[in-house]
Amino acid sequence: MSTDDESFHPLGDEWEDELETMLDDTEYDSDLGMEMAQDAMRVTKGELSEAEFHEKHHEAVMEEFGEDERPTKEAYEAAQEEAKGTASRMLDAFDGDGGETRRETMKKMGVGAAAVGMGAFSSTRDGPMESLSAEGGHSETTEHSDTQWGMTIDLERCDGCLTCMTACTQENDLDAGVNWMYVMAWEDELHEGHEEGTDTGVYSSDFNMGSDFNMLVRPCQHCTDAPCEKVCPTTARHTRDKDGLVLTDYDVCIGCRYCQVACPYGVNYFQWDEPHTDYEDIPKAKDRDVDSPDEITHAQYEHGERWVDSRAPRGVMSKCTMCPSMQDGQQGDEKVGTSACETACPPNAIQFGNVKDEKSDPYQHREHPSKSRAVIRLSSEHTDSSGIPSPETIDGTLSSDDDIESALEKFENLDKETLSIMKAVELVSDRTEPGDEENNSILRKEQEVVAAVDAFEQYVDLETDAAITQLQLGDGSERQARFRIQQYTGKPNSFKLLEDVGTNPNVTYLGEQPGPEAEQVEGPTKYEDVGLVDKRQDLLDEETVGGIDGVSL
Amino acid sequence: MSTKEPSEADILRPINTLTKKYFLVYGIAAIGLLAFIVAWGYQLQKGLVVTGLGDWGSGGGSTWGLYIGAFIWWVGVAHGGIILSAAVRLLGMDRYMPIARLAEMTTIGGLSAAGFYIIVHMGRPDRMVTSIIGHYHITVNNSPLVWDVTVITAYFVLSATYLGLTLRYDVNRLRDDLPDMFEPIYKIMTIGYTKREDEVIQRMVWWLAAAVIIMAPLLLHGGVIPWLFALLPAMPAWTGAIQGPMFLSIALMSAISGVIIISYGFRRAYDWDHIITDDIFRGLLLWLGFFTLLFLWFQLQAVFNGIFLGPLDKAHAAEAKIAHPLYRIAIGLIFASLVYIFAQGIRPALFSKKRALVVSCAVLMGTLTEKVLFVVEGFMDPHFNIYANTPGSYFPSAIEWLSLVGTTALVVLLFLNLSKLVPVVELHAIEHLRGEHEHSEEATEPEVEA
Repeated sequence: MSTDDESFHPLGDEWEDELETMLDDTEYDSDLGMEMAQDAMRVTKGELSEAEFHEKHHEAVMEEFGEDERPTKEAYEAAQEEAKGTASRMLDAFDGDGGETRRETMKKMGVGAAAVGMGAFSSTRDGPMESLSAEGGHSETTEHSDTQWGMTIDLERCDGCLTCMTACTQENDLDAGVNWMYVMAWEDELHEGHEEGTDTGVYSSDFNMGSDFNMLVRPCQHCTDAPCEKVCPTTARHTRDKDGLVLTDYDVCIGCRYCQVACPYGVNYFQWDEPHTDYEDIPKAKDRDVDSPDEITHAQYEHGERWVDSRAPRGVMSKCTMCPSMQDGQQGDEKVGTSACETACPPNAIQFGNVKDEKSDPYQHREHPSKSRAVIRLSSEHTDSSGIPSPETIDGTLSSDDDIESALEKFENLDKETLSIMKAVELVSDRTEPGDEENNSILRKEQEVVAAVDAFEQYVDLETDAAITQLQLGDGSERQARFRIQQYTGKPNSFKLLEDVGTNPNVTYLGEQPGPEAEQVEGPTKYEDVGLVDKRQDLLDEETVGGIDGVSL
Repeated sequence: MSTKEPSEADILRPINTLTKKYFLVYGIAAIGLLAFIVAWGYQLQKGLVVTGLGDWGSGGGSTWGLYIGAFIWWVGVAHGGIILSAAVRLLGMDRYMPIARLAEMTTIGGLSAAGFYIIVHMGRPDRMVTSIIGHYHITVNNSPLVWDVTVITAYFVLSATYLGLTLRYDVNRLRDDLPDMFEPIYKIMTIGYTKREDEVIQRMVWWLAAAVIIMAPLLLHGGVIPWLFALLPAMPAWTGAIQGPMFLSIALMSAISGVIIISYGFRRAYDWDHIITDDIFRGLLLWLGFFTLLFLWFQLQAVFNGIFLGPLDKAHAAEAKIAHPLYRIAIGLIFASLVYIFAQGIRPALFSKKRALVVSCAVLMGTLTEKVLFVVEGFMDPHFNIYANTPGSYFPSAIEWLSLVGTTALVVLLFLNLSKLVPVVELHAIEHLRGEHEHSEEATEPEVEA
């Protein structure tokens, strides 16, 4: 927003004049610089496309500089990820820079237009802006946070056991019917569900398909463009800068419920009456080692703490928080990068983590669903084939005259199929180091698989034609290995919920997407069987003054 | 038309008389308001759980209900009222001058009721000031609810200024006949008054009226209030550009009906046959018919867009809407009113003030029902319509119903109090009726022949 109607620059007239003086000091054409700057500003506002911008000044730039290193449209798009900054943010980068003064730095940029014209120039290869932002980048600009907590949820591994829901309810001391995490089975024309008459509907095999129900797991989507936050009249609903969590400040919320109205997913639950767990009783839940409820309920911000976690007090809105007290380390370092639902999920269908980090579980699972499924399954404690033998165990067990058959006989939990998948994973793995960030268990487990295969191959050659054939790996190529994995785990679709609404959710789903006519059906586990309440209205109606049963508008 | 000559004494009559009936009405209204305030106190103590509301989605409830429906209805009455009054001043519709001030007071009353509803509806009304004002500079950029509060406040200020300015003329001239016990109030109202300001005030009022006429459709009931709903893609029953004109037509229908009822009451109570003439009722009725026609036209557009080949979510919402018995009743009431208005337009013998009163009550009930239904419909057929518990159930609790009594009583009390303090019919109107008003212009609208 301009501070002055006359100026095209967000910082106003004075700043613009200062820039112009600086441009005059350079050897280049100031008018061209200012004009391009103005247009670049329009690019950032979306009034001009990059391509149009490039084209418009191409001749003049060639004439003035003899070259036009500005990124072409394609190059710009690629670079945009790195330099999303708007004018002010790019220029903010100069603040607090210990080295040169702002004026000197600006001059050094040479190409005048770049001074104000930021965005369009910022990605120029070897250009001045890059070095500038590198040296001047300042840590307080949190809008570029590298962390965005989110999830990848494998709906085909979900067996509808509702453990995540009960874990969430316990972790946050939620009232009955306040289902921050909600798991449902659904059907539509293209996706018939479980048929009546068959037993539990849960496959007896521990293979990836959890059940023959179509499942949907619905936590808050922690949208990047959260409609609930947009409509909030108080800023109580906000996005925490440092990690993109969408939270509610219970001390600020006025209980107008507009967030619940605006959220297309229906993830909000209002605290209509006094919560059943007293504030003082919050630390009493099992496995909790805290002195004060504040340690569970308050999350860390740049400037102090805010009450955003656990059950809401009366009269304000609540929803899934993705456990900020865990992310902030207040519940111990081992819980950083986990959520109560993820930890509880028996089939490991929920992968929580930093969705921006390429090495994180949700990222890996989203980008390499089949391989990740295989890795999760191979190392899952909940499967029959639990535990991949460690290289040490392999070293101590195998001898060089073993062949596949005899080797496998020496391990209780290892069969030919498991070995085949392990080898396939080894073949497709690009051996990315997991790094030391949290939630990188998929890459870590993948490394264990690869290490085990490497150790195994010290004794038994798995790359001979005979071995490859025996392991059903086709011609032993990476492509065939990929097929083998897909044969084993399936090749799931991925989707985000209600992408058409434009919320940019941070939860990605693997599996079948419910169509617009999908309807919830009874799932494999009944809510009441695990102590949950589905239809909260039944409870609320009991407290309604002068309500009439069974009558509805 | 009556042969009686309108006089100052006529418009001073409400101030200088005190009847048993007045006390009776006052007592009933006071009890009504008090009853709701007690009920609201209970709600504050127990939480909003005492209402019939709940969480839409897996919870199977309705997030908003009668409180919000009645809120937008009152705002509509208020906005329509001031539009009516502004139109009288701006377009020189002098014929309606005797009811212009009643319309302005309706605006003040409607806005008070609406403001009350905002507070009643909130989970933590105690934070209204700290949370909303404290973050206003941020939230005003994107929250339709903040826009709402902003325009309602702006409108309140605008209407009160408008009313206050026009009252200076009257109070100054009628001062000797006004009760002495309100002397301090009159002093404040007429502070610094000189006769030279009359012309300036006229111009100021003209500009205020111009602002009202421009703002109302663009920003107020044709803009910001419907945006509270129409901008949300999550609720197909609400989305769509038609809501702007729709809300405006409802506002005008409700306001005209409200003014007819209030005018009827005052005319009856103070023998104002020669001031609020039959002709005014006939004219108002025709305007009511015009806006009713517009409303029905917009409803047709909205529904037909959904049911013909609407996208699925919109189609479900539209189908549910027309299938709802209450919707049919509301539209039926409004349609029947239109039929009567049309008939009495063709055959003036069909007109009677009582019938006008009945039609106005029918329209008000129809618009209120439509508003409350409209709010609830959003939650019943959302875009993400997968939950087994959706559509949920909602029926207003006794406390919610009582809020209608309470806010209506609030508005009645406002009129009862104001009518003892200042003339509810402008002195200008009397002067105009006597044909001595200096600013009188040709009426732009031909009078209906009886």
